[in-house]
Formats: sequence, structure tokens, C-alpha cells
Amino acid sequence: MKRSFRLARRALVTGLGAALLPAVFAGPFADSATGVGTTLGNSQSQAANKTRELDGDWLAAKHTPTGQMFKLPFAPAEIQKSAAGWEFSGTVEFGVIGGDADERNAQFRTYQDIDNGVYVNQFNLQLKKPGGGYTVELSGGGAGRHDQYYGLQFGRTNAWQVKVFFSETPHVFTDRYKSVWSGIGTGNLTLLPGLTPGGTASTANDNAAVAAAAAANKDITLALTRKRAGARLDATLAPTWKGYFSYAIEQRKGARPFGSVWGNAGGTAPIELAEPIDYTTTDLLAGVMHAQGLNAFNLRLNASLFKNHISTLTFQEPYRINPPNGVTTTPAAGAYTQGRFDLTPDNKAYNARAEYTRKLPDFHHGYVTAVVSWGTWRQNDNLIPYTTIPNLALTNVTVLPGGAWDTTGALSRPSAGTSIDTRLVDLTGSINPAAGLNLKLKGRYYETDNNTDPYLAVNPNAVYVDADAATAGNQTRGLTLNGITGVWGRLLNDGSGQNLLFGANANPAGNLPIASTPFSSKQFKFGPTADYRLTKVSSLNAAVEREINQRENRERDRTSEDKFKLGYVNRGLGNSSLRVSYEYDQKRGSSYNSSTYDDAFSSALVPIPTVAGTNVTSWAARSNSGFRAIDLADRNQHIVNLRLDTMVRSNLDAGVSLQGRESDFPDSDYGLTKQTQRSANLDLNYQPSPHQNLYAFYSYQLGHINQASINGTGNVSIGQVTALGTLTPANASLIAQSPGGPIYPLLNTWKVRSTDRNHLVGAGLRQDFGKVTLNVDYSYSIGRTRIAYDYTIGGAINAANAPFAGDRMPDLATDVSYLDASLRIPLTHRISARLVYRFQKEAIRDWHYRNLDATPVVLAGGNANATPTAVMLDGGPADYRVNWFGVMFQIKL
Amino acid sequence: MKFPRPFSTARLGFAAGVCATLALVAGTVAQSPTPAPVTDNSDAVYVGEAVCIACHKTQNNQFTHTQHANVFRLNPKNEKEKLSCEACHGPGSNHLKDPVSPANRGALVGFTREWGTPVAKQNSMCLSCHEGGQRMFWAGSTHGTNELGCSDCHNPMAKLAAGGLLKKPTINETCYTCHQQQRAEFAKRSHMPLPEGKITCADCHNPHGSTTKAMLKSDSINELCYNCHAEKRGPFLWEHAPVRENCLTCHNAHGSNHDKLLTVARPFSCQQCHSNPAGHQSNLYNAGQTVGGGAGISSRVLGRSCQNCHSQIHGSNHPSGARFQR
Repeated sequence: MKRSFRLARRALVTGLGAALLPAVFAGPFADSATGVGTTLGNSQSQAANKTRELDGDWLAAKHTPTGQMFKLPFAPAEIQKSAAGWEFSGTVEFGVIGGDADERNAQFRTYQDIDNGVYVNQFNLQLKKPGGGYTVELSGGGAGRHDQYYGLQFGRTNAWQVKVFFSETPHVFTDRYKSVWSGIGTGNLTLLPGLTPGGTASTANDNAAVAAAAAANKDITLALTRKRAGARLDATLAPTWKGYFSYAIEQRKGARPFGSVWGNAGGTAPIELAEPIDYTTTDLLAGVMHAQGLNAFNLRLNASLFKNHISTLTFQEPYRINPPNGVTTTPAAGAYTQGRFDLTPDNKAYNARAEYTRKLPDFHHGYVTAVVSWGTWRQNDNLIPYTTIPNLALTNVTVLPGGAWDTTGALSRPSAGTSIDTRLVDLTGSINPAAGLNLKLKGRYYETDNNTDPYLAVNPNAVYVDADAATAGNQTRGLTLNGITGVWGRLLNDGSGQNLLFGANANPAGNLPIASTPFSSKQFKFGPTADYRLTKVSSLNAAVEREINQRENRERDRTSEDKFKLGYVNRGLGNSSLRVSYEYDQKRGSSYNSSTYDDAFSSALVPIPTVAGTNVTSWAARSNSGFRAIDLADRNQHIVNLRLDTMVRSNLDAGVSLQGRESDFPDSDYGLTKQTQRSANLDLNYQPSPHQNLYAFYSYQLGHINQASINGTGNVSIGQVTALGTLTPANASLIAQSPGGPIYPLLNTWKVRSTDRNHLVGAGLRQDFGKVTLNVDYSYSIGRTRIAYDYTIGGAINAANAPFAGDRMPDLATDVSYLDASLRIPLTHRISARLVYRFQKEAIRDWHYRNLDATPVVLAGGNANATPTAVMLDGGPADYRVNWFGVMFQIKL
Repeated sequence: MKFPRPFSTARLGFAAGVCATLALVAGTVAQSPTPAPVTDNSDAVYVGEAVCIACHKTQNNQFTHTQHANVFRLNPKNEKEKLSCEACHGPGSNHLKDPVSPANRGALVGFTREWGTPVAKQNSMCLSCHEGGQRMFWAGSTHGTNELGCSDCHNPMAKLAAGGLLKKPTINETCYTCHQQQRAEFAKRSHMPLPEGKITCADCHNPHGSTTKAMLKSDSINELCYNCHAEKRGPFLWEHAPVRENCLTCHNAHGSNHDKLLTVARPFSCQQCHSNPAGHQSNLYNAGQTVGGGAGISSRVLGRSCQNCHSQIHGSNHPSGARFQR
């Protein structure tokens, strides 16, 4: 029996080796400085290791230089030898899982794919041929599941190595989606029987039909699976030169919930679709690395090619959407039978990066490092027409031949033609001018240069007719901007809305987007650092840095942040290591312009009206002038970090860490006004022998985010008398944007304080009972977010609604329990059984989804005769409780 | 599900301070094994790995399975690599004179705290072979400035992990030994798939240093995110300013109490930048507007909130997509 097993094993190994060796591809990313994909595994892959036998001959755990115990090594694998001179070892674990492992809950299944039934948890095989230095490693796990992974690596040690890998990751968005379409996962969603594209004359019937269809087609899982495969070759090109080349291809396929809306400015009948996902990303990476004596040099080239195989999503609409003012359709009723999205476009990215370091041993033992990187991102998808609905006609507009709104003739250009270049220059100089003192000077320049010509929202093949009240009389003309003449503005939401200058009522407006805004930015960072050795085991470090950001087309042209950091390290406080640092940052910037986007709006085409009584809100105000965008605001910030590692005993170590961050935004009366984060962590690890290990940890996190705003209300007109003065074209913006002005009355001020509070506690035990090993891991996490608000009744919320609003939202809450227990029982020298028990429980409360699963067709005031406030087909996250058991068999080759 | 009783900052600081003090006192009063190593080993000579293995069989049984052993024994490229044990530990002749006494530990380079070799010396031994490449920015990196030793993360003597000779079986477990804050974030409602073993910290960070403060592996945060989220790269016809500049304006990189790793729940997240004069952006949304909340329902507090309508929030390529609705 034993002999036949050995023969079978040899045959397996020989066969595998013969089968694998010719399969020489290139390899996955392996170098931690390049690319992603550094690991192969899944949620179960480490479970087998937890009870793996440890090296009983290892005398005691030693500590890292910081003072944390090294994990005791596993018992060495038994090496077998083949007649061909290969040394090999390997294991495989497989078995059966039963219980609730087939739970479909999205929270449970995201990123893992456990199911009842036969399960190949993992396998690995290592081969080594000492003569010649050849090695082969094969590993894998989760076979047949959507979190499976496989890796093969082979080569000649210290000469060349090839890695090949394949890995899947499931991402489950919801298991409570209700579909009213067929074609989920494709670019065409066709309404199910019983639903009418474009709706019927009875909205009540449409509501009932949608609700019925949703109820009949519920509990649908929307998910995508990410499949990534790749190959990488690493080779020593010369004694001091190494090179690598890798190719990886990733496919993402599935569907996810996706909002859609109709109407003039949006807001009409939002209904959740299922966006199809069918992406392929191809990554190519190549580079060389050189290090010799005083010089080190790296060159890296990479390309990333993204393709979306479904470029548009066309969906049938179950409601009667009325044409907006100024738009006529044929037929008028029920014309909006379908909508269309332009989904994320294909894109390409290329990057080249060179890094060089030169040591200067004769110049204060210094060195210089220089990095230069250039990249570009490009996208040139063909654009689609505004609408698929034919025969749209607009008041005051005549479409010229070739300019119909459902054709690309209505667009200012046929394709996107966008590109962004990135540039990086990073320089560091370092010297040691005195014993124990190191000084560095660092400088960095990073630029994101958007070269895209602004897209102009204009139909060049259309003209206004009798459009301008200021130029009475029948006319046929276009307006010209940036060399293009036509009708400015755009159709919205498949023509169910329109934002056209001189549109419906021939009244101009100043807030119609007429051009896209390319955003570019430049970042400069520079400053010195100093490290000073106090004693053999302690040092001080300090850094000063100025970070300047220059942005185009933002509310602020320039921000400058000064950062001061002081750190202390002591590795010899008895058996402890202490690391503590404090940082103070101060960000300021140029003047803040709330009207910065005026050039992208129709205010660039039509000056603010001067006639008394004319509503000029759309020219005068885009935001509250006391409001500061989160990323542009002045900021004072304090950051404290403390970490203490202690060897309490030779077999017990403890770690304590504290983090604190407090940010004030002194110039932000509105917007984000304050942000704090604090956390405390404690770890204990007790490892008295290879037969026993206990650990425990606890983390606490507390975060606050304060923000404020004012409900905007009302309009301003030329000549209007306000508390801030009489409105004129010259002061309209100042008055309209001011807090306390007619649009932003202080009575409407509101403040929100969002508090995140989290606890995570964990503990574990590994205990040998003779040859039997028990491992238990437990963790429990609590996450709470309380969003409280302050307001004046009759201001931000009226008296009738205030009792319902209260002073806060319901808490967002997530509790997760996790218990994993394994008992490994050796059956023979080479075969063990591992009994597995897993318990997972999650309770989740999210007010975004309150009552939505039961009532997806959300009716305003219960009015079934009106189009719904929203049709929310995703029921949201739900609780789950899972117990599953397994019997796994581990076989050592 | 009750809201847990808050820990005040003072109480939290006090509790943490007590823990830290107790740990510090316990660690300080405990007998320190740290020896004072002899520093002058210049007269030592190499003795060969056979001599080492004669006493260190257990270590060799583990070491045999490592990549180090493969390099030294199967295909050494230079004289140093042929030294095997002494390539890392230095010439062993002085160690042989008195292998037991702590006073003689300076005769070898050791990579444990107990042995007491200065960290700078330890690291210089590692970098004598591993210089350049991905370690080009070690000096001046956060880890370098905090005086981490290579063996704070790596165990050069045993193969615990599939790759990298780490001190723990996985990259993430290795990082968590110091970065417990991040471990707690990965336990939150929405998180990157680290706990599920599908990615690692080293997918985004180079622990050996980089040109960015957070030791990111790309030139910028966004370039890093695009490695996995290439569809967000665009550039789009209609761009969203904070999206283009920094994904972390809206998202937490590690984990969040909110959907989609958002820093704060929608619609409040969007309202940190948006406050238009007469519309929905600046309104206070509240509990009464949820389904069953009692007041007029608002689609802005349902489901994905603002993205119920502005679903193409990362950018739109539709000619009418200025508001990211198509």
C-alpha cells in the first residue's frame, strides 16, 4: 500500500513537472514596488496554516529589533527525492463543507465564495533540483469557486524566474435587487411583460405594474467577478543588472445597481437600473534595475489598456415622462420609451519612470537621488447623440439638415479627444555633516496637465428663431463662442429636459453648462529634514515642508501648506521601543472665488441683464460665498502618533499605539468646518512554546466631521432692495452669494456633526493537546455613525416637518461577529483531518435603505397617481447569521 | 442596536496612557537582555557554513527552505553569496572563541533584539546585497526614519510566508503588528478585500520607501487607485474636479462605516463642497425624509442618495453629462 502510494506520488510529481515546465510564460507582479497582485489567496487559505505543526526543536521565540516576537517557524517540510534528482515537498487540503456556507447575503459573500459541498482549500508543491539550481513552486486554492487562485513559479535560482498566476475576486453589491427588466448584465434592459415602455395613460397603473414586477422578480444578486491572470519574467541580465517583464489581463464582468433619472434638471422618476460591467484591463510592465558600488538605477515602463466591452446602456422606461416646456415630440404622449447612458469609455495609459541614486562617500557620506516620471492618459471614444428619441423639436430652434438631436450632427465634435499628461521630478540630497547628524533636502514637482479642449455644448447645425428679446423681430442666427456658432446648451436626460440658451421661453439664463472644464494642477513640495542620533538607541528627527498646489479652473488658484514635524525614537527603554511624533500643518491660499466656473456657463455668452426686475440669480450665485470646498479650504492640523512595543516577559509582548488628528478650517464658515480622528490600540501576544499561543487585541476609533451650510432659497432681481443693499449688476454676485443675504438667510443655517465610533476586539488561541492542535480566532467589531444636526425651526426645516426630522438621523450601525475554530487531528504520518467550525454574524442598519426592500416604489405622500419619488430596486444590506462546519483532509506528499 | 456610550477624549487618553505606562514600566523594569556588543570584529575570518551548521542544526533545518539558502547554495553569483551563513552574520571566527557569552555577541551580526546588533549595522548587512531596486528610497522613508530594522518585518531564517521571508505567514499580518489602526479600518462595513486575502498592503504601499509620504507605489494617489479601477481614469468629457485630483477627498482608502468607503454618509458627503443657491444641494436632509420618516420623502436620502441621479459621479462621456446624469 505504502509502495503504491509512493509510486503514485512520484508519477503525479513527474507528470506535473513535465506538464508545467514547457508552460513558460511571463509572470505576475511580484516586486512590491511595481504593480499590484502581490498575493494569491482567499478567505480560507490561511485557515490551514493556523493549525500547522510548528517546529518543536525551535528553542524559544526571539524578538524583532523593535521587540515583537517572531512567530515560531512551521515544522520543516519533509523533503522527498525523485530519481531525476528533484527534491520535493507539498501538501493538499480538501474536504466537505456543510451548514450555512451557501448563504447568499451580499455582506457575507463580498470578496469570498464559500459554498456547501466538496472544497479544495489549498494545495502547494515545491520542487528543487540542487544540480543546476532549478526550482518549481505550484500553489492554489478555492478550486472552482469565484475566489479561486493558482500560481506557478519556476526558474533557476539567482538567474531567472517565471511566475504565472490566476486569481478571482467576487464583489457582490446586493442580493436584494428587484429587476423589472430582462437583459441584466447586458447593454439593453427590456421591460418585463406587463410593463409598458413610455408608460401608460394611468400612472397609478404604471406604479402598480412596476411594484408587481419588482415583487415577482426579487432577491436578485448583482455582482461582478474580477478575474486576473498574468505572467512575469525576472532575470539577472548581468551581475549588477536585473530586468523584468510582465503581462497581466484582468476581466471584470457582472452588474451593479445604478441610478437613472428623467426630467428637466433631473429629479423626475429616478429608477435604479443594473449597470452592466464587462471590462478588460491589460497591463504591460517592463523594467531594469541596476546597483553597483556608488550607483543605483531603475527604469520602468508600463502601459495600461482599459476596454469596456459594453459602451452604452439602453433601458426601457416604465413611466409616462412628459416633454419639458419648449420640447415637442412625435408622438407627444409616451414618446420617452427609453433612455441611454454612455458608459465608461475605453482608455489607455502609459508611463515611463527613471530613478537614480549616487552615493557621495567623500562628501559628508552623502547621496543624491533623482526621479523623473512621465505619463499620459488618453481617451477618444466616439460620442453618442443626446437622445435616441426621434423627432424632437424645440421651441425657438430650427434644426438645420444634419443637426437632428438624435444624431451626432447635434454635437460639437464626434469624439471625446481627452488627454492628461503627468510629470514628476523628485530630488533628494543627503549629507552627514557631523557624527550622528543626517540632513536631507527634498524637492518634488508633480503635474497633472489636462490637454483636453473643452467640450462645447452647442449644436452647430441649429439656429435660434426669434430668440433674443433684446433683438426683436424674426431672426435666424446662432451664437458664436470659441469659433463655433450654433444653439448653446444641451438636451438633458434623453430629451426629457433641456438646458438651452434662449430655449423654451426665449429667456436667457446664466447657469447653463456650455463647456466642460479640464482640471489641471501642479504640486511643489520641498523642505529639509534632520535626523540626530541622541544615543546608540535613540534619535530625534525633524522635518519642515512646504507644499504648494496650483490648480486651474478651481475656486482657488493656489494653496500653500507648511508642515512641521518632530519625531523621537527610542529603541532601548529597557525592553521597550518607543516611537512618537507630532506634526503641525498650516494651509493657506489665494483668494477664494465662488464664481470661478463662470466661463463654463452661459454667463460667458450672455451678460447679466440690467433691466430692473429681471431675475439674475443664475448669473449672480453658484454657491454661498462663505462656503469652502473641502480640498481647497484653509486648514490648521495637528497629528500625533505614539507607538510603544514592550517585551513584558520573554514570551509576552505588548503593543500600545495612539493616533490623533485634528483639523480646523478657520476660513470655512460653511462646508467642512472641523474634522478629528482618534484611535487607541492595544495588542498582547503570548507565545510560551511551540505548543501554545494566545493573543488579544483591541482597537477604538472615534472620528468627528462637522459641516455647515445654508438652505438656499429665493431669487434676486435687479433693483431688489435687500439688507445688504439694492441689487445692481455690479453687486449682484456679492449680495446673492453672501450668507445673510436674500438667497442665503442666516435663519436657514444648519450644522451637521457626523460621529464615527468603532470598537474592534479580538482574541485567539492555539493549543496543542498531544498531537492534536486546536486553533480559535474570534473578533467582534462595532461600527456606529451618528449624524446629528442643528437648525432653526422655520429655517432649514419648517415647523411641520421638524417633529419628524428631530435632531439626528437614525444611527448607521454595523456589528460583526467572527469565530473560526479548527481542530487538526493527525490520522497518519502524512494525513491529518481538520475539523472546522465557522460562525459569522452581521447586523446592519442603514437609514438610506429603511423600508425600501418592502416598498421599492416610493410614492410622495402615498399618491399613486403621481410618478414616484423614486423606484429603489436595491433593497440594501441585510443581516445574516452563518454557521458552517467542515471536515478537511490534509495530505503531505 | 444601541449607540455605544461614548468614550470621551480625556477618558480615552487616560486609559491609553495607563496602558502605555503599565507596558512601559513592565518593559522597563523587566531585565533587559540587550547586551553591549563588541564592536571591533575586524580581525575575524570566515569559517564556512559547515562549522555553523555543526552547532545550529535547528536553524539550518529551517534555513534550508528559504530563498536565501537557494541563492547561497544552489547558484551563488559572487564570493559573498558563497559565504552562506556568514554572508549575513559576518565572519564567525571570533564567535567561535566564545559562542555563549553575551559579551561576545559583537563577534557576529544578529538580527534579533536579544542579540543586540545595532539596527543600522543589521540593515547595512541586508542592503549589501539588496541595495537599489525597490529599496532605493529606504533612507528618509517613514520606516527608515523610525529606525525599523529589516528583520522587524522579515525573518531571513525561516519560510513562513509564500514569498518575501516575512515574520508572519502573510503580508497583511506582518503589517498589522504595527498598523493596528488600519486593521481596525479593514474590519469596517466597507473595506478593501484584505481580510478576505485577495489583496495586501503591498499592493498599494512599498514598505521599503517611495517618493510619497505614505510610501505609495505610484506617483500619486489617483494613479495608484487606477491600477485596479482603470475605468475611473478617463479622462472624461465632463470631469469632476475633486475626483480628478484626489480619490481620497471622498473615500477612505482602507475602510469606512459607510457604503463605498466614503468618508461620510451621503448626501452629507457631497454637501461638503456643494451649496447651490436655490436647489437641493444646500438643503438639510433629515430623518423625516426617509421612507416612513413621516415628512416628505426625498430621493436624496434613499439608497445611493445623490448618485440616484448623478450616477456618473466619477465623470461622464455623454454630451449632456455635465451633471453626471447620463
